[in-house]
Amino acid sequence: MSRYRVAMDIGGTFTDAVAYDETSGQYSAGKASTTPGELSVGVRRAMHSVVEDLSTVSFAVHGTTQGLNAFLQRRGENVLLIASAGAGDVYQIARGNRTEMYEVQYRKPRPLLSRSDTVEVSGRLDPRGREIEPLSVEDVVAAARRYRDREYTSIAVALLFSYECPDHELQVLEVLRSELGPDVPISLSHRLAREWREYERTSTTVLDAYTAPIVRTYLEELSEGLQADGMSVPLHIMQSSGGIITARSARDHTVQTLLSGPVGGAMGGVSLARLTGQVNLICIDMGGTSFDVSLIVDGEADVSTEASLEGFPLLMPVVNIHTIGAGGGSVAYREAGGLRVGPRSARASPGPACYGRGGTEPTVTDANVALGRVDPATFAGGEFTLDVDAAHRSLAALGGELGLGSAEMAQGIVDVVNAKMAQAIRTLTVEKGIEPRDFALVAFGGAGPMHGVFLAEELGIDQMIVPRFPGAFSAWGMLETQLRRDSARGFPFPHATADLAALQRVFDEMGAEVRSQIEAEGVGSDSVVLHHSIDARYIGQEYTLTIPVGMLSVVGVSGWREQIKAVFDAAHHSRFGHSNAEAPIEFTIARTTGFGDLGRAAPSRLDVRPPAGPVARRPVRFGGEALDTPLIPRDRLAPSTQMDGPVVISEATATTVIPPGWHLEVDDYGILSAFRRNPGKQGGASS
Amino acid sequence: MSTPVNPITVEIIRNALIAVADEMNATLIRSAYTPIVYEMKDCSVALLDSEHRVLGQSAGLPIFLGNLEACTIAIEEQYGRNVWAPGDVWIMNDPYVTGTHLHDMTVMEPIFDDSQLLGFAASRAHWLDVGSKDPGGTIDSTDVFQEGLRLAPIKVVEAGTQVATITQMIGRNSRFYHGAVGDLGAQIACCHTGARRLPEIFRRFGAATVLAARDEIFAQAERLEREFIASVPDGVYRAEGTIDSDGISDREVAVRVEVSIDGDRMAIDLSDSDDACQGPVNCGATQAVAAARVAYKLLVDPHRPANGGSFRPLTVEVRDGSLVGANEPSPVEWYFTPLGLLIDLVVKALSEAVPERAAAASYGDSMVIYLSGTHPDTRQPWLHVEPTVGGWGAWQGSDGEDGLINNVNGSLKDMPIEVLETKYPVRLRHYGYRSDSCGHGEFRGGVGVEREFEILADASMSAWFERSRTPAWGLAGGGTAQPPDIVINPGRPDERHLLKCANVRLSQGDVVRTKTGGGGGFGRPDDRDRDAVRTDVFDGVITPETARRVYGLSVARRSSGPRDDSPRKAGAT
Repeated sequence: MSRYRVAMDIGGTFTDAVAYDETSGQYSAGKASTTPGELSVGVRRAMHSVVEDLSTVSFAVHGTTQGLNAFLQRRGENVLLIASAGAGDVYQIARGNRTEMYEVQYRKPRPLLSRSDTVEVSGRLDPRGREIEPLSVEDVVAAARRYRDREYTSIAVALLFSYECPDHELQVLEVLRSELGPDVPISLSHRLAREWREYERTSTTVLDAYTAPIVRTYLEELSEGLQADGMSVPLHIMQSSGGIITARSARDHTVQTLLSGPVGGAMGGVSLARLTGQVNLICIDMGGTSFDVSLIVDGEADVSTEASLEGFPLLMPVVNIHTIGAGGGSVAYREAGGLRVGPRSARASPGPACYGRGGTEPTVTDANVALGRVDPATFAGGEFTLDVDAAHRSLAALGGELGLGSAEMAQGIVDVVNAKMAQAIRTLTVEKGIEPRDFALVAFGGAGPMHGVFLAEELGIDQMIVPRFPGAFSAWGMLETQLRRDSARGFPFPHATADLAALQRVFDEMGAEVRSQIEAEGVGSDSVVLHHSIDARYIGQEYTLTIPVGMLSVVGVSGWREQIKAVFDAAHHSRFGHSNAEAPIEFTIARTTGFGDLGRAAPSRLDVRPPAGPVARRPVRFGGEALDTPLIPRDRLAPSTQMDGPVVISEATATTVIPPGWHLEVDDYGILSAFRRNPGKQGGASS
Repeated sequence: MSTPVNPITVEIIRNALIAVADEMNATLIRSAYTPIVYEMKDCSVALLDSEHRVLGQSAGLPIFLGNLEACTIAIEEQYGRNVWAPGDVWIMNDPYVTGTHLHDMTVMEPIFDDSQLLGFAASRAHWLDVGSKDPGGTIDSTDVFQEGLRLAPIKVVEAGTQVATITQMIGRNSRFYHGAVGDLGAQIACCHTGARRLPEIFRRFGAATVLAARDEIFAQAERLEREFIASVPDGVYRAEGTIDSDGISDREVAVRVEVSIDGDRMAIDLSDSDDACQGPVNCGATQAVAAARVAYKLLVDPHRPANGGSFRPLTVEVRDGSLVGANEPSPVEWYFTPLGLLIDLVVKALSEAVPERAAAASYGDSMVIYLSGTHPDTRQPWLHVEPTVGGWGAWQGSDGEDGLINNVNGSLKDMPIEVLETKYPVRLRHYGYRSDSCGHGEFRGGVGVEREFEILADASMSAWFERSRTPAWGLAGGGTAQPPDIVINPGRPDERHLLKCANVRLSQGDVVRTKTGGGGGFGRPDDRDRDAVRTDVFDGVITPETARRVYGLSVARRSSGPRDDSPRKAGAT
């Protein structure tokens, strides 16, 4: 009998799994050690930790880090790049920009292939996709010879204007296939990103060529392994866009799964928005060394049309995850007589002083330990014993230099890092034209729930939410995502004169394309929804806004031209604080996204019987004062529980700290919400 | 003001002030109209206290560092302190006050909490066109009046309401009305962000605490800088170089710097630089000071944000009437050409005293090409203005970067070929590295690039290519790089070479090839790793002839060896 929806997410140490039991309406979480050599082993073990008999799995989804790891460790394929004659260095020049302003010793990110790995082929299109010079078959044959002679393992093809007309790239493919056979991995730029800007498209294609064969091998291994274990449903893979596709389709669109793992948390935010009705969320994932922020606006993830990976652009829809250099490992130190916290991190080695691995500088984690906010019994899943004395010693030493007592020092470090994280979040929201006070804060990851309320306080936010399984929230988030396919076409015309019938044709074509892709995944046509949108900007601007044009194409409707202009002006005003009704706009790229609904969980009220027994209490410092605080295991919190702070809630993967002035409520699904007792106040309350 | 403040509070306030500047910058860059702002980052913002000292600053462009306060000070000197009123926003671009050129509009707002003046929010951004005699700017202006609209300080927002007449007047003086009005809107929004956030900080911590924290924050910055300067050997260090010409005459123009280190103080004396020129390469003293500060920052403290305590150990001497101390009506359109050189020269002067922060010279100037005409399809006028990337200097331990945008252009990206050809009637037939253009050495400089434009409809070209007479120099025995060049119709009977030109006519079918210089080398070529030379030949960055002549190594260009010899493997480690 099939009854379990299961998600698996690979982390650095553990691979998490979360299962939803469709029969009981209950969730469960499990994990297995990540197996770096052969990730699929850990994934299968994690799955078995929540579902014994894989034949009972009704739906399986997976966030993979295989491709990303290959990239980050530079263990990718040996890629041969085929480029248009005269433009072979585009990938090396990389648009020539710098990211550091005051550095005379600046280097660009090292490209994934060098100049000598690039072959130029003659043949040229004009900006409308018309052929100016035919493709040189001879040049392509020479490239194929080069591939064989120099033991390349993958080919990237990125020709100028292929987004307007793919003929030349398709001819290259044909020649390469006849020269090299059907098995050579070949990535074509127009299939991965049908958008203008040759460097960005080339970079996307090279990243695909660099990682795709490795990911394909992994997905095959994993699918076969799960099948052998008895699973009979197809495996789904998370995409960077926050939607999923089947592992089978992922083989042809591999690059789209590159950021598969990290987006799970943001999609968890989307599910949480649906479940709690709180549709505007700032999600923070705070771990040992990193602090990731993502935004949910009106119940939807914040998705960009392009991303950058260590400086390499990727043209594809990507859920925005902003990484801020602060975390539990941020080091506090003295500089020029003042206190600094981060961005330097103690990392895993030596780690915070309390890890007892030789670290002597105090970190944020040490400060939390000294304040009594960390339960030594459950810290890091009970992986190792905390050296509380070492934490105190490191704080006393720095405090001595700054004229502060050890407790004051600990409080100060936490205050500074909270203020910094809150400011980083605020700068992000300013860029988006969003007011953080209209949002609730979702805290997950090992350290998130410990800091969440204090960040909320700094930002004037009145509610902090801690989901169930805060250490496995990414996996939980994947459970309810939809199938998603994206398509884009260049449409670079002024708004005033653009041919709307042509635009309608572009949308129709893309709509048919993504619809057939989603239906091929086994979804009935009734369950497919199309979203059309168009990128537009004031003429002269570079950045565009993506403007939705309705659930169905409405381009033909009279008055559309005026309407889209008004929508654009309004969007610009809300995002940037000003707009210009008189200024003309232009279109750049038309986009269509298809969603396929796979059904979702309808969870029941959390069914727990809290264990009885006395509640432990311990002194925890808040605002410079040690308060006698109950330390409650999370599994004792039944739905509808309410209590006032201070209270500390501990579970295997995280510790939630609720200070005085905040009130805790547990909802039907076991989700924790802390509410400010005097709403609308910003800052002030010392953490 | 001597109340001691807890170091925790100081650090929280310090970060909060930096964050306000970052928020202002985010507001400006995301909403600006012109690429010069949002990509070249030809803009900067500052949050000032009521005494015009920098509380927080976010400079897009290094060269804008630390001089926005000159504008609020000038207004106050002229009209008195009572001129400030809540809800007003001022604008100005007078180059003899701002120090830069007319394109750079400075927009400022006094920040009040009730009736108390807390400080100022200021932003500066480069506007695409301010009504100069030629579109987008001038190459050959001989006075400031040819360079466009010059605004003395004027209120563009009064008591919270934007003054329509002023906005119209400014907008109509630009060839790109919407761009001008749009960028003005972005700058005002940016100032509003600062004006909203600073009072929140005062209210949260209390004025006395904020001011005491401010003093401590300034003292920390000053302490760090003094510590570093004290570690530099005392002495007087000199360097000089020339820019090719002032754009009018063919005469070289010399920039001379003398840097003195005395204990924990640094002095940069620019007095010996040439007199103000007839052509537009002059700048006001304010900007010369700003450029000297940039050089100082590159060497002293490249990574921390500057504030009102920064630069206290630095004095800058500028001679009134020199090209970096220009007065009305000296033309200033290319004010940054001597300043870019000035920054490079200060780094050169101190390269032996501060070797760990120095590098050989980069290709130098912006290498700007202007192409314009009437588009044959739309019959609309078009204008393409683009700086060009080149090679940067090597340093102890690393080759210089190839094909990178120059120092004063921030994080500008080149325009994609696909965008360029879609918008304008040109075809970019070639865009690639220029072999052998680097300075050689144990570590080689970066190479410049070559670009080849085919003109598809009659057009006009202006250009400003520089540093042919002082091409990028090497350090510690490293070689000098190749200078830039522009060739029209290479290989044809009408072939000609140019560097600076105004409004040259081009016909359909003409070809323009631009070449930028490389960066200087570091260390003697004999000491270069042999495999690195082979890799360069293999990659085509240097020719086999150069490998033989300069490095004494014989390498065949196309290796047919196994992949293990390939540079990708070497580069990937």
